[in-house]
Amino acid sequence: MSPSNGGGAGFEYNQELGGRAIPRSRDGSRSPGWDDPVDLDKDPAAVPDPALIDVPPELRREFEEIIGRYPERHSAALPVLAAAQRHHGWCSPQAILQAASVMRVTPGYLTSVATFYDMFELAPSGRHQVYVCTNISCSLRGADELYAALEAAVDGDPDINVRHFECLGACDIAPMVSVDQVYYGPLQTSDAERLVADLRAEREPLPELALALRPNADAALEEDEAAK
Amino acid sequence: MSSLLLMRDIDEPGLADIAVYERRGGYKSLRKALAMTSDAVLAELDASGLRGRGGAGFPAGRKASFLPKGDMDKYLVCNADESEPGTFKDRELMQKSPHMLIEGIVIAAHAAGVNHAFIYIRGEYEEQAKILDLAIAQARANGYIGERILGSGVSLSLVLHRGAGAYICGEETGLLDSLEGKRGNPRLKPPFPAIEGLYGGPTLINNVETLATMPHIIEMGGAKYAKLGVSGSSGTKVVSVSGHVTRPGNYEIDLGIPSREIIYDLAGGPPAGRQVKLWFPGGSSAPVLTAEDLDVPYDFDSLAKAGSMLGSGAIIVVDDSTPVLDVALKLAKFYRHESCGKCTPCREGTNWTVRMLERIDGGEATPMDLDIMASVQDHIIGNCLCVLGDAMAMPIGSMIVKFRDEFEAHLQSRQLAGAI
Amino acid sequence: MPRPHQNLITFSVDGREVQAPENMMLADAAKLGDVEIPVFCYEPKLGHPVGACRMCLVEIEGIPKLQTACSTAVKDGMVVHTQSERARVAQQAVVEFLLINHPLDCPVCDKGGECPLQDITFGWGGGKSRFIEPKRHFRKPLELSPLIAIDRERCILCYRCVRYSQEVAEDYQLVLLERGENTFVGTFDGHPYVAPFSGNIIELCPVGALTSRPYRFRARPWDIEGSGSLCTLCPAQCNVTFTVRDDRVLRVLARDHHEVDDGWLCDKGRFAYQAVHVDERITAPMIRDGGELRTVSWERALAEATSGLRRAGAKTAALAGGGATNEEGLLLGRLLRDVLGSPHLDSRSGGAVSLADWRALSDPALAATVSDLEFANAVLVLDCEPVDDAPILELRIRKGVRRNGVALLLASARPSALDPSATETLRFAPGRGAELAWALAAALQDGAVDAPAAAAGASAEEVRKLARALREAGEEIVILYGEQLLDGDAGGLLALADALGIAEIEGAGLIGIPEAANGRGLREAGVLPNGGPGFSAPPLGDGLDAAAIAAKLGDGELSALYLLGVDPLRSFPDAGAWEQALEHATTVIAHAAFLTPGVREHATVIFPAESSAEKEGTVTHPDGRVQRLRPAIGHPGDVRAEWRTLSELARLLGGAAGPATAAGVSAELFASVGLYNGLELEELAGHGVRWPARAPAVARSGEAAAKPKLRRAAQAKGGRLLLGSYRSIWAGPEVEASPALRFLAPRQRVELSPRDAAKLGVLHGEEVLVSDDQGELRATVVLRDSTPSGTAFLERDLARDGANRLRGPLVEVRTAPSGNGDVETLLGEEELTHA
Ligand SMILES: Cc1cc2nc3c(=O)[nH]c(=O)nc-3n(C[C@H](O)[C@H](O)[C@H](O)COP(=O)(O)O)c2cc1C
Ligand code: SF4
Ligand code: FES
Repeated sequence: MSPSNGGGAGFEYNQELGGRAIPRSRDGSRSPGWDDPVDLDKDPAAVPDPALIDVPPELRREFEEIIGRYPERHSAALPVLAAAQRHHGWCSPQAILQAASVMRVTPGYLTSVATFYDMFELAPSGRHQVYVCTNISCSLRGADELYAALEAAVDGDPDINVRHFECLGACDIAPMVSVDQVYYGPLQTSDAERLVADLRAEREPLPELALALRPNADAALEEDEAAK
Repeated sequence: MSSLLLMRDIDEPGLADIAVYERRGGYKSLRKALAMTSDAVLAELDASGLRGRGGAGFPAGRKASFLPKGDMDKYLVCNADESEPGTFKDRELMQKSPHMLIEGIVIAAHAAGVNHAFIYIRGEYEEQAKILDLAIAQARANGYIGERILGSGVSLSLVLHRGAGAYICGEETGLLDSLEGKRGNPRLKPPFPAIEGLYGGPTLINNVETLATMPHIIEMGGAKYAKLGVSGSSGTKVVSVSGHVTRPGNYEIDLGIPSREIIYDLAGGPPAGRQVKLWFPGGSSAPVLTAEDLDVPYDFDSLAKAGSMLGSGAIIVVDDSTPVLDVALKLAKFYRHESCGKCTPCREGTNWTVRMLERIDGGEATPMDLDIMASVQDHIIGNCLCVLGDAMAMPIGSMIVKFRDEFEAHLQSRQLAGAI
Repeated sequence: MPRPHQNLITFSVDGREVQAPENMMLADAAKLGDVEIPVFCYEPKLGHPVGACRMCLVEIEGIPKLQTACSTAVKDGMVVHTQSERARVAQQAVVEFLLINHPLDCPVCDKGGECPLQDITFGWGGGKSRFIEPKRHFRKPLELSPLIAIDRERCILCYRCVRYSQEVAEDYQLVLLERGENTFVGTFDGHPYVAPFSGNIIELCPVGALTSRPYRFRARPWDIEGSGSLCTLCPAQCNVTFTVRDDRVLRVLARDHHEVDDGWLCDKGRFAYQAVHVDERITAPMIRDGGELRTVSWERALAEATSGLRRAGAKTAALAGGGATNEEGLLLGRLLRDVLGSPHLDSRSGGAVSLADWRALSDPALAATVSDLEFANAVLVLDCEPVDDAPILELRIRKGVRRNGVALLLASARPSALDPSATETLRFAPGRGAELAWALAAALQDGAVDAPAAAAGASAEEVRKLARALREAGEEIVILYGEQLLDGDAGGLLALADALGIAEIEGAGLIGIPEAANGRGLREAGVLPNGGPGFSAPPLGDGLDAAAIAAKLGDGELSALYLLGVDPLRSFPDAGAWEQALEHATTVIAHAAFLTPGVREHATVIFPAESSAEKEGTVTHPDGRVQRLRPAIGHPGDVRAEWRTLSELARLLGGAAGPATAAGVSAELFASVGLYNGLELEELAGHGVRWPARAPAVARSGEAAAKPKLRRAAQAKGGRLLLGSYRSIWAGPEVEASPALRFLAPRQRVELSPRDAAKLGVLHGEEVLVSDDQGELRATVVLRDSTPSGTAFLERDLARDGANRLRGPLVEVRTAPSGNGDVETLLGEEELTHA
């Protein structure tokens, strides 16, 4: 598309709203753009021409390996996006363009997919991902307080991204967290400070609470019985 | 005492390694199955009476037999999305005994004549995905998957596919769309996946636990398995118990034992001094039961008769320290967040319900709002594209019916507080 | 591919017994019994039903749950209730849910009065809402593109627009973002949704969420009238409805014709109506007076034209193009041949094709229909780019591939937008389509492929592969070819058709996309140097073709040129030769709507041309369908009908006075063109008539197959590249003149392969000079991975720097000395004084 030469005057925005972005619902939207006009100076986002997109070679190899696993290349969308996110830290427009160029799909296709799933970061995000399960089983055991404590401990540090998540499938260690995709629990509110300190010190956080160490519940039952 | 099948060796050190698994008798069932015709394997599954462990409880043998015969590509997808609140059994099985699942997958693939299999695991289960990846590589190296498995005529590819955080991808058709690289929106049924599923081909979808049970069925024989549990709900079931109990965790039980035994004897019951107020017998999508229902036998039909369902086999216990409104609001927000948004009643109904509950919480509601909320649930149930909408509307509806007094008392107390 | 065959069954809906084709969706079948079931997301044109909105829930006896009528196929004996208590409660519930977050700003909504949401709320809603929470809000309206505004508050998330983008246009730019109640319609990273067919989403949207920016707030539904006609901006000739208010066209909507457009329009057809009412349009006759153009009376202009033509007499030549009607073509032929005694007229820019070949090509046995593209076993797209040459056909091809598994085979010089959908693609040298056809024919008959393939600049191996794919695809093969393939030689194409046995197979056939919108009709009406009406032998013997006309005007052997809706300086090859020709012509008479360069610099008399919204007459679709144009508005200013002017000139020059009405001219056309004998205007109303469907097959004379005429393709050498050219969908004065579309008017860009660009040391986006010994032009470099190495592609038919400035076959590309690169549209500001 040739640059717009006078495609049209911009709209008058609703005065009452004073040009502010309006939170769509109380939880808001994670992806930007729902309250913005498009940028008429941009070209339409077709399938990126490989001649115009530089993809780091190791990332390209990873994309291609993933695509090769499936009978149909579109199936690679989620793992390719995950790889792009690992490489770029988030699903940045550049990350999406690179993925789209290798997958031979439009960046819109991948954005649409990425915004559907909770684990894709649609804005620049910290190096450490801390997911706090605040769903029913965890919240019955203090997850909401834990979440608040973690937020307080992180105190806006952009390096650590604390998000509340729906049930993470570990209600046996409620309340629990997933730190950089490793599960820990049960946590006390008082563990929040230590967890954050460990992360800042680049140590494994709360190692003794790792889910991987836990025996099956029946074992606990036997112990209890034995104790009786 | 319950029989232990799936959990028998669960804490055996190193079980995730193929050598340990084989030493404990692993992959023997697969050899046995490969020596049988696929129809014979199907017949064993049928005879076992095994019902799906993922939520709907559909007979597993029947489902596998729905796939058309013929030479086309056919698919098996193992549903390891496990996102139903309160459910964590598949996680433990995959983490500790990945080869049991792989063995089950190959057996099911043989039964249904499938040549491509996928495990769709929720994205958050990274630790489990790594374990499975390793196990798949080992199984491939040992000839349990790949071309002409163990010299038989059966070939199977197996790919682990990670989700990325969306409960709806546990719904089988949403899962298929997601596996095809799209947004995980459920599809219209019919066509059913058995006829037109992944990439348009015939597809069998089973839960992790369903598949992991299959080696045991082949090992002991379908008829013998069917004797476990009770009629209509044969076999054992891994139940995830969480919430207000002293020993949350997974327990393998024989289906049909009194629910009270699970909640109290196994999971330790609520903390001292507190009473069970309500419980979800099958994940957060199941209508709630109360303390009065504790003696209902834990099996598919008895729970249905009690007005709820076995669902994913996850018991969430809420004791009398928690207001029912908090539970309802948590739940409604969860379903609003997870609604894919494709169909109107679910997308708008979950949102409306949350907004009404928030208003009730804020003391700005009247009993008429409770009626409207109940009617909104009625308008969702049965009118949606998939059952996610129902999964909110049924438990919320049941709470309004069973705890109306508490809701009204709450309204009054808030209004009184406002008046002061 | 067999077309769906339909069994009739009987079912009952709301107590009525209704007959319907088996497996028709209930929502459609109920209509046959006059029962309406409300729908939002259901739109069969978008593919399989998705059952998303749940508006169409009905009760079916024997099924416990309510079912969606849009996705339930009717079966014999089915008993359906759309008005039972349960169904009504569910329908009211869905309306209530949909309105929860809808702003109900109907008084200020463009859709108000023609809005399905209003109608369904009225018809099936409960009449009240119990939702008292604050509604969600969005900033509104927002630009989605320069052409489309989006109002997200109004969106009911029916997904029609995104499904359209993904499954019909397949541009996949418009998508859903986010999930659940946060879902919204948007694009990647704030990019505008600009695509050849984007405007269709405006018509698809069942609420006022997507509106036309040019139409916003221009009218209310009760102020307007709809007037059915055709779009004649390209050969696809889509059927349209003009929305008219106070004799002005305010909007163009699709008028669904399954055999023509399938209910879609391209954005040019949808928005270029604006060019009807711009100041730049010529609305009064002009003559050149002392070098300057001056507005004059009709009498004066006609007198000037008459005297010029009388002076030139038989030394007059004529070209017709654009959307000139069949009737105009017939009258032009009479003016030239019968009145002035000149045989020199043409409607094509390529080399003449023999009359025998024209007759063979229009043999009804070789004719395919548009819907054959959808049901064939394979479609071979040969030397054309559907999206540029006849846009709407691209959607039809995509539909066939996507829905019916049609095998798409592509042979073109330039990479095609359809490449990703094709099972086989083959590239050859620009301008060597005829040779490629010969090569394919040879490969199909196991003949010698090497020589013709080499001449075509294609690999013999790939030609054989394509031939194999053709043979294996099945019998029903449709060849969609571009007229540029017929540059002097139709033999290869006919040999290819013979090799595939197309004449004998039902459902197989050819469709040729002519270069002008009514190219086929003009040809059939006799605007050919070597053919009279209906391919009769020309009464005065063969005349000169377009290129020869240019040459003879240049050296003075011809002295007058009559231009009916065409500017050769802009749109014919070899602008240098035409510059010479126009320079030397003493009389140049042009019917024109805009002052394109040839007209502006050289016309001695200008007659203001009609727009398609004003025209009356007939045109002929590439598949032989004669369609009728009906005027939607009166002529603005001093514009007169072209046919009237042509008749008037003939009379003034002493010829016979023709019919006095447009209908009369049409009747003469049907009488004079053998192929059209027996047609009547009345029966053309609505859907037109395909004449080949009525005509008997022509017995092909058993003459020995023609010998291939092979011209060798040039090769890139010494850093010089082979020149290829194409005409983009956005080319043309109408686009440049429409305020809304102007942003799409192309500037010259040269497409290079990354390999060549690296060798030449030029970068993407860089300004370069492209030159040959004939001329030089400025262009912006565009790198495309798929561009074949050794070739440079340029655009034709531009306001300036058009590819016809160069003659090729080799061109040089070098970095431009830094210039300001200013864009100047065709209609330079200073030219607007006549208005
Ligand atoms: C909203 C929703 C979420 C679901 N989530 C899961 C899940 O996480 N895991 C699972 O196995 N089944 C889930 N199901 C059930 C599946 O749709 C399907 O019935 C099951 O995977 C079939 O396997 P089975 O027959 O072995 O139980 C879910 C269903 C719904 C409607
Ligand atoms: S914008 Fe219109 S067409 Fe698109 S989803 Fe919303 S209501 Fe449907
Ligand atoms: S029209 Fe049937 S669900 Fe939308």
